[in-house]
Amino acid sequence: MEDDLPSKYEVIVIGTGMTESIVAAAASRIGKRVLHLDRNDYYGGMWASFTFEALQKWLDECRNGKTEGSVKTSSPLVQDSEKSVTIGNQFSTVFNIEEKWFIPEKLPSVGNLLSAKNTQTEDSPKESKDKQNETEATLKYNDKLWCQAKLKSLGRKFNLDLAPKLLFSRGTLVELLISSNISRYAEFRCVNRILTWQSDKLETVPCSRADVFATKNVGLIEKRQLMQLLTLCVEYKPENDEFKGFEDKTLKQYLESKGLTENLMHYVLYAIAMSNDTTPCMVGVERTQRFLSSLGRYGNTPFLWPMYGTGELPQCFCRLCAVFGGVYHLKRAADSVIVENNECKAILSDGSRLDCDHLVLGVADAPPEFLGSVPKSGLSRGIFIIDRSISTTDKESLTLLQFPIKGKEPITVIEAGPSTHVCPSGLYLLHMTTKQIDNAINDLKPAVEALLHSEYADGTTSRIDTDTQATQTPKEGDSSATKTEFVIQNEALKPQVLYALYFNCPETSEYDLSQNVPSNVHLCSGPDLEVDYEFAVKQAKSIFSKMYPDSEFLPRAPDPEELSLEVDEAAGPPFQSSEEPKEE
Amino acid sequence: MAKTYDYLFKLLLIGDSGVGKTCVLFRFSEDAFNTTFISTIGIDFKIRTIEMDGKKIKLQIWDTAGQERFRTITTAYYRGAMGIMLVYDVTNEKSFDNIKNWIRNIEENASADVEKMLLGNKCELSSGRQVSKERGEQLAVEYGIKFMETSAKASVNVEEAFHTLARDIKTKTEKKLKEASNPPKGGVQSSGHHLRDNNGPKKLGQGGGSAAALNWLSSRCTVL
Repeated sequence: MEDDLPSKYEVIVIGTGMTESIVAAAASRIGKRVLHLDRNDYYGGMWASFTFEALQKWLDECRNGKTEGSVKTSSPLVQDSEKSVTIGNQFSTVFNIEEKWFIPEKLPSVGNLLSAKNTQTEDSPKESKDKQNETEATLKYNDKLWCQAKLKSLGRKFNLDLAPKLLFSRGTLVELLISSNISRYAEFRCVNRILTWQSDKLETVPCSRADVFATKNVGLIEKRQLMQLLTLCVEYKPENDEFKGFEDKTLKQYLESKGLTENLMHYVLYAIAMSNDTTPCMVGVERTQRFLSSLGRYGNTPFLWPMYGTGELPQCFCRLCAVFGGVYHLKRAADSVIVENNECKAILSDGSRLDCDHLVLGVADAPPEFLGSVPKSGLSRGIFIIDRSISTTDKESLTLLQFPIKGKEPITVIEAGPSTHVCPSGLYLLHMTTKQIDNAINDLKPAVEALLHSEYADGTTSRIDTDTQATQTPKEGDSSATKTEFVIQNEALKPQVLYALYFNCPETSEYDLSQNVPSNVHLCSGPDLEVDYEFAVKQAKSIFSKMYPDSEFLPRAPDPEELSLEVDEAAGPPFQSSEEPKEE
Repeated sequence: MAKTYDYLFKLLLIGDSGVGKTCVLFRFSEDAFNTTFISTIGIDFKIRTIEMDGKKIKLQIWDTAGQERFRTITTAYYRGAMGIMLVYDVTNEKSFDNIKNWIRNIEENASADVEKMLLGNKCELSSGRQVSKERGEQLAVEYGIKFMETSAKASVNVEEAFHTLARDIKTKTEKKLKEASNPPKGGVQSSGHHLRDNNGPKKLGQGGGSAAALNWLSSRCTVL
């Protein structure tokens, strides 16, 4: 209470998730007085990215729940005609947390290894020199082995996303970042590889000319077919009747009618249209258009990934909000919302009454009565720290894979490496997201089993080195032995999971959040299932236009060079000399 | 467009509210001083290009946008910063004590090899001084960083401070460049890209997206 927070605002925003942050920036940008609070000591809420240590802290908080103090229902700050509605508790909304290590806490120390080697050697000088070399090799090899302590010591190099997402190069978020000039706060990398899972193996989906040249998976006739189909989708307008008769059919049925080969159908359906066998035809066409229109703008695939993880993005909008005068206070919870005649008057926070015209509220902080009958639908999430890419090439890749599951939503797999500053070098980060059916472990199992080696690795036995794996060939022998051999080898090529985290969190994008709220309260959904940010941007725009229907949504912020501030010239003396001072 | 500089350094200003970060920034970038801006509104960063050893160095200096007030600086603010000016007010003991906290904040969020410098601002105010120059020096020694007392108002040492920081970064950068001239295989390209509206030469207005896609497709057509 000892702070000097002003008590009147036009907009109070609670929660620093994506939608909330965009709305905060938009309101501040047109000159509204904005207060932006978050109960956490970090930005982003369920959209945050964490260092390894911060992730552990977050997990602890989720497991223990928040120790909520007694809630006062009556307060001198609430008038008789007003009702005080208690804010919700976000940590009750993450569940089925499962954390697993697949590596030992510590590796056998260097000293032990040395002495073990030395006691064995009572041989000729020459041989002991060999042993020496061997020891050195072991030590060097040891560098490549991982243990929990080593991983934790590099914990700051992680940016582990709670809600990993990609941006379509021509999607609404990219356009918004550019048009609002917020793009200067963030850096991006292009996703350079789209994989698909077909016939029990990973294949690269040809997305660029070079890919088409290189691919052996698609025959020449298929290439023509693919071209024709994609051109059809790009040029499609509602008035022509290419898709007539397929309005109530699935995309798969349409593709079948075109006589596409199994192979091609798989690429189009799962990778390009990002659909599955139940996706309606027109939805699939729309997605195909979106995919194709984003190609080639920044890279060979339609997607961008933010450096340092997706948790940066809400912060970019917060920065703009602050630049235009928005007041920020983290670690500051709102306790209750004060309502009178179906209108929010103020919030209570830390014993202060803060008045507002509009209240923007993340769904995680929403009072239960505002949520009404929001059903519990959820996301199944998996975060895996792995020791190599799921499909190793000579260059580090940034990968999207829609892992198909028959009859269900695919599992979205995003793999990012150290050059995007999300993990230390030598490691990769693998994110999996899908719609919750059972729990995260069971929902993600098919992809985990297919892509990853998730047996415990004791850290002393060696696995095939990435550098040499290409030269490994199955040993000769009878056919059945060869086959076993091959399977084992395949298993050895898969990335070893060092650490896995599973959890479920709610998905509220499909529900109408405006039903049970006072007229000037605007609820924002948490992360949605889709791979991109279309939903969050759309929701932010619609909330903003409800609040300020006549104002422009995030007009371009001026560059610093364009700002001329009225400066009191008389106040200070000019520089004495125009010469640059010399040092040394 | 030709590049008008040899180096671009991203610098940050950090310190408690009211220590004069924005004033320091204005003194350096505009050679001006204004007592009327109480808090920082609308100022993102300022740019000034200086010359050093015949090299043009473009300094992009970022202000906290008021997010220091309740210690809510975004982690994104620290990304890519090469130098940080830690500023306290010599007439405000608390702002000096808080430097430790800011350094911890920097260690948690900025890159490990960021150059830091400590500034005791408002040194023209001899009457209300609470922090002696010696204490400032001592703290700087403790952290192994350089120190200066400045006055944005009286234009004391502001110019010198930024030049000192810039020189240290330049030295470090050039050393790195030298080492990188025989780079380890694969190189160390690890920066991302800023987004620009690159509809490019085939600027197509509204239908840019689908037209570009068609372009891309037809370029593929020629392959087939």
